[in-house]
Amino acid sequence: MHALEARHAPVVSLWVWYHVGGRNEVPGTTGMSHFLEHMLFKGTPKHPKGDLDKLLARYGALWNAFTSEDVTCYFETVPAERYPVALDLEADRMRNALITVEETEAERNVIVSEREGLENDPSFLLGEQLQAVAFARHPYAQGVIGSKDEIKLMTRDGLYAHYRRHYAPNNAYFIVAGDASAEELLDRASAAFGPLDAEVPIEPPKAPEPPQYGEKRVIVRRAGGALPIIQIGHKAPRASDPRAPALSALAVALGGATAGGGEAASGRSSRLYRALVDTGLATTVDASFQLMKDPYLFVVEAHLGPGVTHDRVERVVLDELEKVARTTLTTDEFGRVRRQMLSASAFMTDTVTWRAFRFGQLLATGAAASLGEWYDRLAAVTAEDVRAAAESVFQEKGRVVGWFVPEPS
Amino acid sequence: MDVRRQRLENGLRVAAIPIPGLLSAAVLLAIEAGQWFEPLGRPGIGRLCALTMLRGTTTRDAKTWADALDGIGAAARLDVGSHAATFSAQSLGSDLDVLLELMADAVMHPAFAASEVELVRQQTVAQIEEDARNTRAVAESAWRELVYPQGHPFRARPIGDVDVVRAASADDLREHHRRAIRPDGAVLVVAGGVDAQQVFDASAKAFSSWSAGGPREEWKVPEARLANAVRRLEVVPDKTQSDVVLGWPGLPRTDPRFVAARVTNMVFAADTFASRAGHVVRDELGLAYYVFSTIGGSLGQSPWVVRMGVNPINVERAVSTTLEELRKIVDGKIAEDDLELAQDKLVGELDVARESPAGVASLHLEGEVFNLGPDYAERYPRELRAVTLEQVVEIARTFLPPERYALAIAGPPLPERD
Repeated sequence: MHALEARHAPVVSLWVWYHVGGRNEVPGTTGMSHFLEHMLFKGTPKHPKGDLDKLLARYGALWNAFTSEDVTCYFETVPAERYPVALDLEADRMRNALITVEETEAERNVIVSEREGLENDPSFLLGEQLQAVAFARHPYAQGVIGSKDEIKLMTRDGLYAHYRRHYAPNNAYFIVAGDASAEELLDRASAAFGPLDAEVPIEPPKAPEPPQYGEKRVIVRRAGGALPIIQIGHKAPRASDPRAPALSALAVALGGATAGGGEAASGRSSRLYRALVDTGLATTVDASFQLMKDPYLFVVEAHLGPGVTHDRVERVVLDELEKVARTTLTTDEFGRVRRQMLSASAFMTDTVTWRAFRFGQLLATGAAASLGEWYDRLAAVTAEDVRAAAESVFQEKGRVVGWFVPEPS
Repeated sequence: MDVRRQRLENGLRVAAIPIPGLLSAAVLLAIEAGQWFEPLGRPGIGRLCALTMLRGTTTRDAKTWADALDGIGAAARLDVGSHAATFSAQSLGSDLDVLLELMADAVMHPAFAASEVELVRQQTVAQIEEDARNTRAVAESAWRELVYPQGHPFRARPIGDVDVVRAASADDLREHHRRAIRPDGAVLVVAGGVDAQQVFDASAKAFSSWSAGGPREEWKVPEARLANAVRRLEVVPDKTQSDVVLGWPGLPRTDPRFVAARVTNMVFAADTFASRAGHVVRDELGLAYYVFSTIGGSLGQSPWVVRMGVNPINVERAVSTTLEELRKIVDGKIAEDDLELAQDKLVGELDVARESPAGVASLHLEGEVFNLGPDYAERYPRELRAVTLEQVVEIARTFLPPERYALAIAGPPLPERD
């Protein structure tokens, strides 16, 4: 359990990070962690369905949950005096969720609907295929939401077993930030979670990704979009790797610190924006390096301009990646990258919810032991570190290229 | 919260809200240049003008301006909505003067170079074409066409009409800029790690030479009125989910009933847990992954709509269930607790929004933009609490008649109805 003081607003934000996500699933049960996340909103014997939902709604709480490849996460940001209620909710549902057959059936439709909503988005469709092709053995290939067929086959008993196995205090991080002393925040959390029993420790999944020996490619053809899309991934190291801060800076150098469509004004000095958007070759471009437990992907995504071919954009992107791996950024350019990265870090920690999120993310993925440590490591990155990180990652042998090709209606 | 205000001679109103302990400042500059202020029959001119303002000024080309913004690590964007064109940004507090100077340069001295206009046009046309395959965008466009008559500023989405975008010249954009991008009616709100005097000094330095380009033109906007229930299905190929927009023309933010309407919206469908339709459609029946309603704030009849993402086989049931919940409100068959829950939620959200500088700035923007009074932020929670069940019923009867609505559905073909 970790606490941070944040005294500028009368709120508290608490987060529970469970070490369970897509990487803990096997074929036939893909999407189970995400399905389970939905079921944690369906009540416990102490708090029947709707009971605490309404209470938190009354407080104006900002609260939700998400599942990733690595973790499942629940959070509430509430007026400070309501902290005990949110604690009670999280401690209770850590071990006592009901997960009935009836609620499982009703929620199945919602999850299928969520999946179908994602399928409407060509970028999701291509990204799912890119991930599947990139990983031959590691469960990152399976993504998070699961296949529609497997969602339809999920059983209440399977979900409950998954819950009992993974939802326990010894498999979670608890993070809180807010308007009280760290000691007080932790004391209350200890009282809530302390009585809960630990489970048998869980071994992390053992399916390391074998080496890749050459570029992989995938094409998705559908009528669902008007514009072609290209995604280029390169195998990238895990969050705990010493290169992680430099790769974060590299993503800013290539795509800016803030993504957005035509309305976004920042990030336009980045290499790929200049090479693709300023020239009309693409309408948007983004570069991302995610903090993950295991080696994942550094991904560039561009939505092509009208009449522009995939070949052309792919060549330009690969040229830019090759350049940034060969030659260090200029002093001015690196100065902009550093300012964007460090300012974005300040923006995040100036919001109570995101301060707690960031801390939890760093801890859960092994990136750093504190916000200060991560900030110092970002601040210590040099232009040469960025070049060297690019050189180590942007290798043809670790590459996967995806094209979304719109088909006529 | 400590709110200080100042008005520049050109009419620009500035509000500063220092928050001790923060490093950054959130900046919102709202200019009355949203859809409501677009020339009638020219949807899209406002957004095209705004986005071209981000692509170079008379003293800095697009690259130089972008280098300077990224050089201070600021995050910024410019969005055109129904009422305002809003420049929203965040920088370290120590960089506020540079940020405001860059924003002012874009707002006051855009170059509208031909090549940049072409680039923005190309991007916009591409986005419109992409949106033609996006079920949410298609449903939204279809709904607007069902509700708003020809010539109404809300008949199209802010991105506009493709023919208008294709035909717009640099001179058209200059003319729109001269007419609509003006300090009178504009509001600048800064919240975060800054002191008020720093905000006033930096805003005066950046914006005091901004002047209005002549009197504001006014035109008569046709009324939007639904005579009966209307619906449209747009089939979008290769999609698995239907996006649904169900709604009515709303009421102006300046209407004295607007706060009661916002409470009614929360009672009806704004939230999954605090609203009747949201709770029943998603949580009880599992018919949709998302369902929520919004009520727009502008000087006109902004959309008041429920949006849902639904499997095609569940569309009819999700819509009829939503309308059943609405009928209960109209018939007064709702409990005091439904109202209290909605009020608690709306008031509680105001406290939670204070967690970030952007949240604080947003809390104050609406009151400043619509001239709701210097005590608005303090008065608003009391006004929410004062809304009665009778007012909710009356608002629903007046603005959300369950037998006269517009329904737009975009996605795969729907199964045959019985």
